[in-house]
Amino acid sequence: MDLHNNVQPELGKLEQIVYQFLLKCLHIILDSRVPLLRPHDRSGDMSTGPRVRRSDKWFNLALGDRPSALDNLHFWHRNLMDPMIIDIILVHEVDGSSVETVIERWLVQYDCPRVVAPQTGDITSSYKKTYQKSIVLFRALYSQMRLLPAYKIFRQLSTASHTCNFDIIYKVSSFSDPFSRAEGGMMEEYNFTPVEALPGRLCISVTYRSTLSDFNLECSTSLPTKIITDYVGSPNTDPLRSFPASYKGIRATSFPLRGIAPPTSVPLERPHSWTCGFHKAAPFVQNHPYVGSPPVYRGSPKPYDFPTPPTDSYGVRLQNLRMQNRHKSTSYDEHQLSPPFSPSPSPSPPTYFSGGNPMQTRLRSETAPVTIPHSVMSKSSRNLSPNFSDPSRNSLPPLSPRRTDGSFQESPSGIRSFRKLEASRTGQKFVRDSKDDSGRFSGLLSSSGSPRIGFSRTSSRLSFQDELDDGDFSCAFDVDDVDPPEVQSSQNAVGRSAAEITSTSLPMGKKSQDAAVGVLVHMLRTAPPLRQDPSCYSSHSPKADAEPEGGIATASGFFMPRKTADALEELRGYREMRDLLLSKSGNRILNKHEA
Amino acid sequence: MNCEVCQLKELELEHFEIREVLRCLLHTIVFHRALGLVRPKDVDLELFDVTYVQCGEAELEKKIDEKIEQFVCWVEKHPNKKSQICLSFYELKNKQASWFSNKIERLYWEQWYINLNVAQHPKVHSSKYHHSKVGDPGEGTLEDRNARSAALEASLREVLFQIIKFVNEKKDHVPPIPNLEGAVSFPYEITIPSSSDSAFGMDMIKRMLQTGHPTMLS
Repeated sequence: MDLHNNVQPELGKLEQIVYQFLLKCLHIILDSRVPLLRPHDRSGDMSTGPRVRRSDKWFNLALGDRPSALDNLHFWHRNLMDPMIIDIILVHEVDGSSVETVIERWLVQYDCPRVVAPQTGDITSSYKKTYQKSIVLFRALYSQMRLLPAYKIFRQLSTASHTCNFDIIYKVSSFSDPFSRAEGGMMEEYNFTPVEALPGRLCISVTYRSTLSDFNLECSTSLPTKIITDYVGSPNTDPLRSFPASYKGIRATSFPLRGIAPPTSVPLERPHSWTCGFHKAAPFVQNHPYVGSPPVYRGSPKPYDFPTPPTDSYGVRLQNLRMQNRHKSTSYDEHQLSPPFSPSPSPSPPTYFSGGNPMQTRLRSETAPVTIPHSVMSKSSRNLSPNFSDPSRNSLPPLSPRRTDGSFQESPSGIRSFRKLEASRTGQKFVRDSKDDSGRFSGLLSSSGSPRIGFSRTSSRLSFQDELDDGDFSCAFDVDDVDPPEVQSSQNAVGRSAAEITSTSLPMGKKSQDAAVGVLVHMLRTAPPLRQDPSCYSSHSPKADAEPEGGIATASGFFMPRKTADALEELRGYREMRDLLLSKSGNRILNKHEA
Repeated sequence: MNCEVCQLKELELEHFEIREVLRCLLHTIVFHRALGLVRPKDVDLELFDVTYVQCGEAELEKKIDEKIEQFVCWVEKHPNKKSQICLSFYELKNKQASWFSNKIERLYWEQWYINLNVAQHPKVHSSKYHHSKVGDPGEGTLEDRNARSAALEASLREVLFQIIKFVNEKKDHVPPIPNLEGAVSFPYEITIPSSSDSAFGMDMIKRMLQTGHPTMLS
């Protein structure tokens, strides 16, 4: 076939049209059948999307970025007159083995006669007509792709590829083996009306399986969309715990805590929750969420996708997640392999983890970094002297409240620094709060370590002084600034308990972190009585219910007068007693003197 | 230039299905006739397992939705009637000024007729049909409803195939694409039945003769 004779000047144009025609066809077909090649969503809005590339404007159908496979089209399809055969192949399982079945065969060809009649007429207008009709043809092709049976499974694969038991691949060639009789019997054919492209014509036809119900194709979608919402604590209590919403339908379900959650809402049936260890005062578990991934929490939303089903299906899910994310960055995989809830060194009750033990062991084996905190913790516990000296330990930030949040951003050293902070926070939480609140108690532990506590412990007679000191600690629960000591004084029950807690939690270096956490739990548990304090004072009992709210809110300003009044009363009482005693002894003395 | 006419297969549907079906059909036809540069937009129907393609132009979508709303209003006023929506494409030709007019003439080169048979039960307010897939006492059992819905989906697919086939086979009558901005290259018109429709007028006269008193005209 010789095109050159009479269409030589237009040869380039015809070749260009035919080449672009083939390219567009391939693009449409692969875009609508093979999920992995799809670079973007089919949003379709011309106004908001990026500018259409020049190469994409061919035939007035903008499809977006071309798959890279198409760029090499001219390499293997040298002769534009050769047919281009695109096989859409379904990879599915039959009796355990993988089978490939052609479900669609597209034939795109520039059908040109061998003998070309001399061209007459306006060639340019003929190419314009060809181009216009091709535009219409591609519209029809695009719509048809969505009506054929294969589109449905393509959509299933696109949306839930990791849970499907099949896959779609493609093959492009210039020739193909014909279908067997059996195969052919199950196929139907559809021919698009050829478009004249003188001297030949452009043809598209498809042979497709009329039904795909013969194949056992399944996409299970239940697992990925499982959302566990009742994890410990509430997002409202911790501003840091804001998880991004569904990434491919999988919501973050673990790592409920960044600090110390109130123990009241712990779901005991959640073996992967760190709170299991929390009850046993096991700070290791508490800190595990942060071990492998402090950077994760501050980074991209992807690493939040850790499922926490307390069943053995977790392994499947983990694997599925891995498959799903095989295209993602390695950092994600890394985080995925270091789940936060492996409780390896913690003395957590075995019952809580019984459901997930296989997972535990697997995770334990994969989470080598998780074991590090154990030693770090033990070392850091030594560090937690009131002086907080030993900066040579590691690049730990000083244990000042304002650094605690900032440390989250640090890299591997930040992991350990954070853990140390966590350890210290258990005992110091109220201290930090009080510092934030009052601006006074920086290093309260150190400052109040011995004198005050000892003072309060030893002296029962000087309970007024006790109450003064206890009042300092009670401010940790108050929101307002702390008043000067002589005013703020006594909040008896709370103050005393706080004092006890601080006394026990002070020597962090000496006692274990477990005890510290337990002490803090106890402290938090006793926090509610703060609200009931007004009821202890009978003079205000009618308002006991209403007052706690206002009392807590306005803190020291509300409690003070009563406490002071009580203290003063008590002081008066003691003074009277003292006077009485003195008077008695004075009488005796007088009597002695007299005598 | 001849005017190609395509009568689409009649669809039997219920009131709550009108919007989705009409949107699907109208957008599909326009997509094949809006030959300017488009970035196609896939839209999944909610009521059926069908995906159709839109041009992705907001203005077009708005116009189509407006027409559909007008049609829905009309159907509510004229229940249990077969209706027809006509989507026509035309060219604007300047008619030679004559003694009575100098207006621009429309030369229709393609007309699509969407035939619908909206089954609507009396005494049931139309809003109840919205999103309600529970069997009504007057509708029969749930199985009947499902069967009817499946039949409608199959018919809808057939109609979409019909559109594509028509678009494929008849290309010669399509005028040259003007160099316009936007996807919609040819002016179009969507005609819904109205009170001025002659067929409707005949119906009204018949009804008047039968019942003896005039019913409200919309």
